[in-house]
Order: sequence, then C-alpha cells, then structure tokens
Amino acid sequence: MRAAFGKIKDNLKEGVRENSEHSLKRNVTLGKNAKFIWIAVMAVLLSVPAYAGDYVLNVMILMLFYMVLGQMWNLLGGYAGLVSLGQQSFIGIGGYALAIVSEKYGLPVLLAFAAAAGVSVLFALVISIPVFKMQGVYFTIGTWIVAECLALWFSTWAWAHYAQGYNITVTYRLSATHIYYVALAVGAGSLAVVYFILRSKLGLALMAMRDNASAAEVRGVEIYRTKLKCFLISACVTGIAGAAIYLQQAFIQPSNAFGISWTVSMVFIVVIGGLGTVEGPIIGAVIFVLIRQFLYNFPGFSMVILGVIAITIILLAPRGIMGLVQKWVSIDIFSVRRR
Amino acid sequence: MLETLPQAVVTGVLLGGLYAVIGIGMSLIFGIMKLTNIAHGDIMILGTFLTMRIAQSLTGNPVIALLLTIVIMLVFAFAIQNFLINKVIAKGAEPALLVTFGLSIIISNALFLVFGANTRTIPSQLVTTNLIRTAHVSVSMMYAVNFIVAVAVIAVLSLVMNKTSLGRAIRAASSDTVMSELLGINTKHMYVYAMMLTVVTAAIAGMLVGMTFPFYPTTGTQYLIIAFGVVVIGGMGSLPGTLVGGIILGLAQLVGANFIGPTYQQLTGFLVLLVILAIRPQGLLSKAVRK
Amino acid sequence: MNNIIEVNGLSVLHGDLRALHDVSMNIESGKIVSIIGANGAGKSTLLNTIMGIHRPAGGTVRFEGGDITGWRTSKIASKGIAMTPEGSRVFADMSVMENLWMGAYLPDAKKARAAQLEKVYGMFPVLKEKSSQLASFLSGGQRQMLSIARAIMMNPKVIICDEISLGLAPVIIQDIYVKVRELNAAGITFLLVEQEIKRSLRHSDYSYVMVKGRIVMEGKSSELSHEAVSDAYFGINQFA
Repeated sequence: MRAAFGKIKDNLKEGVRENSEHSLKRNVTLGKNAKFIWIAVMAVLLSVPAYAGDYVLNVMILMLFYMVLGQMWNLLGGYAGLVSLGQQSFIGIGGYALAIVSEKYGLPVLLAFAAAAGVSVLFALVISIPVFKMQGVYFTIGTWIVAECLALWFSTWAWAHYAQGYNITVTYRLSATHIYYVALAVGAGSLAVVYFILRSKLGLALMAMRDNASAAEVRGVEIYRTKLKCFLISACVTGIAGAAIYLQQAFIQPSNAFGISWTVSMVFIVVIGGLGTVEGPIIGAVIFVLIRQFLYNFPGFSMVILGVIAITIILLAPRGIMGLVQKWVSIDIFSVRRR
Repeated sequence: MLETLPQAVVTGVLLGGLYAVIGIGMSLIFGIMKLTNIAHGDIMILGTFLTMRIAQSLTGNPVIALLLTIVIMLVFAFAIQNFLINKVIAKGAEPALLVTFGLSIIISNALFLVFGANTRTIPSQLVTTNLIRTAHVSVSMMYAVNFIVAVAVIAVLSLVMNKTSLGRAIRAASSDTVMSELLGINTKHMYVYAMMLTVVTAAIAGMLVGMTFPFYPTTGTQYLIIAFGVVVIGGMGSLPGTLVGGIILGLAQLVGANFIGPTYQQLTGFLVLLVILAIRPQGLLSKAVRK
Repeated sequence: MNNIIEVNGLSVLHGDLRALHDVSMNIESGKIVSIIGANGAGKSTLLNTIMGIHRPAGGTVRFEGGDITGWRTSKIASKGIAMTPEGSRVFADMSVMENLWMGAYLPDAKKARAAQLEKVYGMFPVLKEKSSQLASFLSGGQRQMLSIARAIMMNPKVIICDEISLGLAPVIIQDIYVKVRELNAAGITFLLVEQEIKRSLRHSDYSYVMVKGRIVMEGKSSELSHEAVSDAYFGINQFA
C-alpha cells in the first residue's frame, strides 16, 4: 500500500503541474487567508438569526441538515466505494433515540444526541457483519433491506409505540434560532469530520483504494478496516443528524423515519453536487433545498425535476456541478491534499 | 399453528409464483447487462396504473387493457434503454445503477402527480372466487391464476431466450460483447430488446399485482425488494431459478407469519433474504459468480 | 491493383502508450496477406482497430474504397469483414450448431444459412458430428475450427484471423491452412496474423513485418527471405 501512496503523491504532483500549465484555469486557492475566510464565513453563519426571519432560518436549517446527510453518503459512495441505499436506518435510529430518551424517559436532549450517536455506531457495527459480506450491488440493496426491516420492526414494537410513533414535545420549547444553531453545529461538525478524515491516514487509504484498486487489493484486511471505519463514522454522524432533524420535525413515525426518501435526497444531492468532492454535497444540498422550496406545493413535481437533473448530470457531467466548475476554475477551498 | 400450516404452505407457494413473475424481468436484465435495475418495481407499478386506467376508461377488461399497456411500455422501454441506460452502461456499474435509481424516483413521483396518493385496485372477480375450498385449505382463483401465469411467462421467456434467433443473439451479446459485435450483432440493440422483453413481463406482473393487492404510486419500491430477493435466491440471471426463488421467498413470508404472527410476514421474508445474502451472496442456486 | 482494405497512417494510443505508429497497409482483393510479428508488436491492436474495437488516434481505414474509420464493429462486420479473434471465443453455453447460426445472424447470411451450414459441415466434418454438443465440450483445435466455420457462415468478403494456430498441434494447423487455401480459392480474401515466420511466408501471398507498433518490412511472401524477416523480427526486438 505504501507503493500506492507513493504513486498517488506523484499523481498529485503531476496534477499540480498540469494545473499550472493550464492557462485557461484560474487558480482559486485560499492559502494563508484560509483561516480568516473561514472565520468570516462562520461569523456570517452565526449571525444569520440576528437579521433573518423564521422562513430563511428554516430554509438554512434544511440546507444544513441535507448537507450533512449528503456529506455522509458521499463519504461512503464517493470515497469508500460503498454505495448504500440504507442510510435512512441511522436517521431513524437517531430520531427514535431522541424520541425515546427525551419523550419516553424525559431525559436531557444532550443525552439523546449521545444515545443517537452511540446506538447508530453500535447498530452499524452489528449489521456490518452481514452487509460487509455483500459486494457491490448486493451491499447496496442489502443495506436497504436492513432499513426496511427496521421500519417493519419499529411499527410492531410496543416499546417504540408501534406505528403511531411519538410527538417530540421538547421541540415546543425551542425556537427556530435554537434549532438553527443545532443544525449549524452538526453541519460544521460533519464538515470537520470529513475534512480530517480526508487529511488523515484513513483518507490516504481511501484515495489509494479508489485510484489504485489493484495495489490496494493486496491488503484485503486493510481495505475492510478502512471501509468499516467510514461506515461507522458515517452512521454516527447520520444518527446525530437524525436526532437533530427530528428535533425540528417534532414528530416521528417508523414509515418516514426509516423511509427510502432520505437516501433518495442524499443520492440526488451528491450526484448533482459532485460525487467524491467535499464541496459537492454543499452545492447539491443548496440546490436540492431551493428546488424543493420553490415547488413546495408540488412535492411530486420537485422530485421529478430533481430526478431529471440527476440523470442529466450522470449522463453529461458525471462529476457533478463541482466537476463542471473545476473545469474552468481550479478551486481548492478544502485543501484536503497534504502538501 | 400446525393446523394452519398447510394453508400457509399452499398460499406461500402460489404467492411465490407471483413473486417470480415480478422478479423475472430483473433477473433477465441482470443476466444480460449486469445491471441491477432499481426502477424495476416502479416500471411494474407503472404498468399496473396504465392497465387500471385503460381498463377504466376504454376497455373495461384488464386483459385487453394489458395489451395496450404493453404497447406503451415497449415504447417506454425503448426510450429509457436507448437514450439513458445504453449511454452509461459501459462506464461501470455505478452510473447505470444511479440512472435507474433516478428513473425509479421519477416514475413513482410522476404516478403520484397523475393519479394522486390514493390506494387503488384493479377489480377482478378472481379474487373472490375460490378454486378449492376444504376444511384446511382454500385456494383463491386469483392466486392460482398468478401461479399458472408465472409458470407460463417463465416458460415462454425461456423459449424466446433459448430457441429464437433474437434470444440467442441477446445471450451472445451478454456472454461476449466483442465477439457478438464481430458477428454483426449490435449489442446495444440487444440491450434494447432485452429491456423490451423485460417490460412485457413487468406489465403482466403489474396487472396480476394490481388484481391481487391494493397499490399506490410508491408501492414499486416494495416490489423492487421482492424482485431483488427472488433474483438473489434464484441466482442472478437464471430464469427457472427465478421460480424457485419466488417460492422460497413466498414460503419464508407465509410460514414465518404462520408461526410468529401475520404482522411479521414481510419481516421474516426480508430476514431470510438478508441471511441468504450474507451466507451465499451469489445466490442459492447459481453455480458460481459469473464474471 | 484492387485493394479491398486500405489502412493509411493509422496510430493508436493505449492510454499514454503508443501502440501503433503510422501504420499503412493494403490488402489486395483475393489474396492471403499475413502480418508477422512477435508478442506485443501491435498485430492484434492493428486488427482490432480495423474492426472498430479500438479507436484510432489518427489515420484511416477504408473498405472497398469507403471510409470505415471509427465505425461500430457490428456495422463493419455487416459490410463483409469477418474476424476470428485470438482464442477462438466460441459461445460456450451454446451448441456447435447454435454457434454456427450465430455466424449467420445478419439477414443476408441468414437467408443462405442452410446452404452455408452444409458447406461448413463438408469442410469440417467433426463439427457436423458434434453439432448438438455444447461448444464448451470441444477441444482447442475443434474450437478454432468452429471459430473459422462461424466466420464462414457470415459469407464474408474478407476473413481476418488473429493467431489461429496458437497452441494447436502441427497436424491441425496444417489442416486449418489447407482450408484457408480452399476458401481463398473460392474468392475470400484473408488477413492472417502469425508469430511463426516460416508458416506465414509459406501460406501467404504478401507479408508485412511488424515490430513495436510499426511496419518495418513488407513484400511478396515468395520474395521475402526467411533470414531477412527474422533479422527484422528478432534483431530489432532483441537489441533495441
């Protein structure tokens, strides 16, 4: 695998050279100013509740939530080669963790978030035993079947109120601003997680796996571990996002908590934004939420449009909007490449 | 429990026949172009809605409506294969999978826009008629018809694939693309024909499903998982295996429900499927993973 | 001179690797033309590019005067060029007869299917014997025969053979070349790829020698000396 890393470093160098030779491209690198720009962006985002109304705030909240879901699906599908259609398992688990801890037992919300993260990771670990035996499309559908099983199980489970679900009353005491800050924290946290993963050894292993399958094949165990780590991290963050999402929704039922439509959004967001890029899910989430808001009164219609956009992008620009942008400007906002 | 077992077994086997027709198109597409068609369930339900609407407004008879449905579905199959899937099929499994995923969402939401979210049925007297009725076992005419049609569809499709020039060319295209091209077979056209055969089976399955069970625009995804289960258990791409796969899945559901409780019917089916996927990912009946 | 296939300035890239450099060749109608070269000399790449399996980076391929560069393989095949690729590539899950029927897939060939089948069975009696057996049960030599027979079923003007003698016993090779002669006498043009110099020169009218993606020598097979070809073939290969 070390050889593979060496090769990738060479490729990166070559890539850099290629960029500098390409006169058409404008290089946008944040460089030394990165820290200040990030602080400025954070400051703007933190101050949004001060001047924005509830509508804008709610749209921002949705964008943040969907960005997180997109990032986590992208970590699996875009980086680890694990195309999952079962990420809704963790949204449901996160949401139910919130409902049960805060509603059924009346415990603090913070504890609910801890439970959401913990149970998601635990569940991911358990189901990794069967689903990691499945390759390719079998994994894709296998993870989906797991989620369907959860939906069926929760709707027959007395402890979780069968199919009626829960009203999450703790939400009634929270304003949009509160939820916005929760969403912002989860959003920033998810970005930080992805950023640090990609800069870490795990990130290098992922790149090696993606770019040089044959060299990486030598170490089957290492691949297994790398993929498993991504699966667990993705489950953890998606679970936390699930709790946060249901903190806003205030009502949970198995059929929507474990519904495939969560993963539909994740796939659309990542495909439209750009598979395998950090910026992709951000762009994708913004577009996704905007289209859904514009066509709020026509929910079916917005999904048809999103589906058409997604298919068009797969056919014409397989690397998504981010790929199109990178054709003209080489953006390196998230310098995940180690210098 | 034991006294109801015979009924569960009979119903399970007959339901398995219906599952087999649902899955056979998916099996065909997988066998020929190594593509898991995520839109398969939705394409089938599209057929169900078309048959329902045509029967309501034109023919009155679902079987005649089915013929018209098939014509529409053939055009649809041509379009999606020729203009969408064929464009990405050479780029690896993922893009094609995602295209069918997108199609699945488009179809189910378009159905929702046109027909609304209401639960529908295709009315049929077969449901209320019994073929056999004894103290322990009764067989509804509908289930019997489902099973017979399933066997017939699988037999006809096997004949088409094995005994006709078109079927052989499709098989050739799937086993060796380059060699087939060298013999003058346009493999992309073969994929289009395969998709057309698939939607014919899907339209038939769709009519039966619509007569047997209530349906609504998003039902397709449920049937996708059933189709996938049938195909996995029966061995991806094996046509007779599909029937066995359907029966095993049908039995798992009904026998499971018989002992644990009717609310667990779907869950036991899915769990059996997960176990099979984990133990023998290449399918119970397949000889080996074909590469 | 009446050239059925004309290759002009053909270059092919395999990734960054240049597999063919500016290759030009003419295949005269009614002749047997051979391409001689070692492993990796670019012979298969050349054939595959003629058949549209690879896309050229530059240059043209013409068939009966018309440009066929970049055409889809099945379309090129339908114009009357058959190819038996390396390793026979019979359809293992079909019977011998079904394999032959696959050769007669195109409409014109299909009309003549029965007659062609008789002809092919006459040339290769062993295939008639095994006509209902699965092709996977055939020996290597029989598969090669089936591959050629399947090409004949297409009723082509040209047959391109990529290493038909590879891995076969000398007796069988001899037998196959006799059939090639017969078919050629009946008017089919052949383009053969061979690694063995002697056999190539003996069985062809005109030969090209390829080394590292280039044509380094050409001439009438009767006028090319074994030594000269072998110098070109081995000399450059060993010391370059």
